Amino acid sequence: MSGANAGAIVTVPETAVIDEIRDEIEDVRTFYFSFENPEAARAFRARSGQFVMCTVYGAGEFAVSLPFSPEDDRPHLSVRQVGKVTRALHELRPGDKIGLRGPFGNGFPFESIKGKNVIYVAGGIGLIPLRSSIVHVLQHRQDFGRIILIYGSKSSQELMYRDMIEKWKATEGFETYFTIDRPEPGWTGPVGFVHTLVAPAKVPVENTVAFVCGPPLMFNSVIKELLAAGIKDEAIMSTLERHMKCGIGKCQHCAIGRTLVCTDGPVYTYKQIKTLGEQI
Amino acid sequence: MYIMPKSQARALAAALAEDYDLHGPVLREESGEPMFDRVEDPAAIRLEAAIPYNPPKSVVFPQAERIMSYRYDREAKTVSLERDDLVRPKALVGLRACDLNGLLCLDRFYLGQEYVDEFYRDHRKKMFIVVNNCVRPFPQCFCVCTDSGPAAREGYDVALTGDGDDYLFEAGSEKGQALARRLGLKEAGPGAAGRKAKIIDASIARFDAEATENKAWISRVMNRITTGFISNDIWEFIGDQCFECGACSFVCPTCSCFNIEDINSREGRTDRMRSWDSCSYEGYTRMAGEHNPRRPVEDRRNKRFFCKLSYSQSRKYLRPGCVGCGRCNRVCPGDIGIANVVTYIRREITKAGAK
Repeated sequence: MSGANAGAIVTVPETAVIDEIRDEIEDVRTFYFSFENPEAARAFRARSGQFVMCTVYGAGEFAVSLPFSPEDDRPHLSVRQVGKVTRALHELRPGDKIGLRGPFGNGFPFESIKGKNVIYVAGGIGLIPLRSSIVHVLQHRQDFGRIILIYGSKSSQELMYRDMIEKWKATEGFETYFTIDRPEPGWTGPVGFVHTLVAPAKVPVENTVAFVCGPPLMFNSVIKELLAAGIKDEAIMSTLERHMKCGIGKCQHCAIGRTLVCTDGPVYTYKQIKTLGEQI
Repeated sequence: MYIMPKSQARALAAALAEDYDLHGPVLREESGEPMFDRVEDPAAIRLEAAIPYNPPKSVVFPQAERIMSYRYDREAKTVSLERDDLVRPKALVGLRACDLNGLLCLDRFYLGQEYVDEFYRDHRKKMFIVVNNCVRPFPQCFCVCTDSGPAAREGYDVALTGDGDDYLFEAGSEKGQALARRLGLKEAGPGAAGRKAKIIDASIARFDAEATENKAWISRVMNRITTGFISNDIWEFIGDQCFECGACSFVCPTCSCFNIEDINSREGRTDRMRSWDSCSYEGYTRMAGEHNPRRPVEDRRNKRFFCKLSYSQSRKYLRPGCVGCGRCNRVCPGDIGIANVVTYIRREITKAGAK
């Protein structure tokens, strides 16, 4: 085995202790963890854009994007409770244990985007998989041109990682645009779906890459705006999510056309996505 | 090559039973139906039985299999994990060439690419394979169209070809040679290879008259599917006939999709089970929160045909993911076994050609 997934924990999960749990927004919590086995901790080298299979003991396993980047000091997961297993995860308390397999998947291609402008467009918890990339890019500020985050959610209460974003803003030239779906008292920023901010942000077109992540409807309208602005298919990237059971390219639940999200993805360019022949 | 009298087939099975769990074609007592199954008594194996209703897939990829178990004590906050490691050596005696090719398709998929499927590998290693080449086709067969029969070319320890009262016995491995010596078989002499070729040619020649249930001239169809030639109408026509019963996937020697679930027992243990799954089921791609990217029926129902006839096997391995055993046609209540699907698509190609 080589490349992105070298050293992955493949078959039997490694146990990790939940050290701290933070409430992010409604139904979304961040779980900071550390591996029981120091070997596993050393071996666990996640790249930005990869995902893990998380076992909630007694409930089952689910696939989840990693929000943390190697630049972060502690590994963590941010998870919305949306199904049986994630609900069980939300019932856990610090000191409880979870199992982890991975990291799996291809990750973001940072080498090839050096020197470019980087636009992030996130909808709701779509910021989770993009977080690791933002951390990386801000840490290597000098390697990139303009860095723009366009972020929207249903309400101001549902913007993820707000404290963190406030801190990131201290990085020189990190431009941010926020929007919420409906007006609310005390909100002075723009109101409307996130794609409506693409044009006002006057995103650069030349030498630019865009990372887009969010619910399917948001994704489609944002892509339209980015293309209209002149960004090329191959310069738009997203991480796709699928029902996954094995994470290693065997169970086939995440097959889209002839690609498997778990091993060929989860990061795809829009140029690739267009040829997959399925809904996002 | 060696000669083995047909009467010695039982001795062959008995010799293997000393070192391996024995699997082979058997006849069900009540109904006489041919099934591929585990046997305790070597005499139960019927080499002359018709192609079994089920493929040997479950020998290497059980319908339901525990891949791990664990105990989590929430009070003490301790986890003890246990990986099952109870795989015994297996002998498959009397496999048909199509089914052997099915196993080879599974090998390429499960053992190849970035990760190896460790559970499959554990079943597959320590296996002895005796293939029984088909000296005449069964009515449902179309292995000549999928390049997977009637004789096996690779992947066996022993290949048997019926020749009157004898079998021509070819060793495909050191293990096979050792078995020939152990059985005290005599060398077949210089003319044997030619005789085998004649027997197999005669078998192929019988397909037209005897394998009448299915015809599936697959190669051109694969090309047309892969190049996007087939219109959505025809996929919808095919998809509309699907009952989503999953039977095709379960009798297919090459279908390999699975589900994984953690099952809690009363004793406080949790078993991580994997079990067969089918891409034709609606819930197959449904995610938590009810989003289902493969919602349109034709997306879902036709995934299997793309898998078999275009991307999965063919783009990577240059062969169809179908081995021509005809089982899916036999079990499908909607008349969309692979052979029929190929026929529908060929009809479209012909129509388009006539325009």
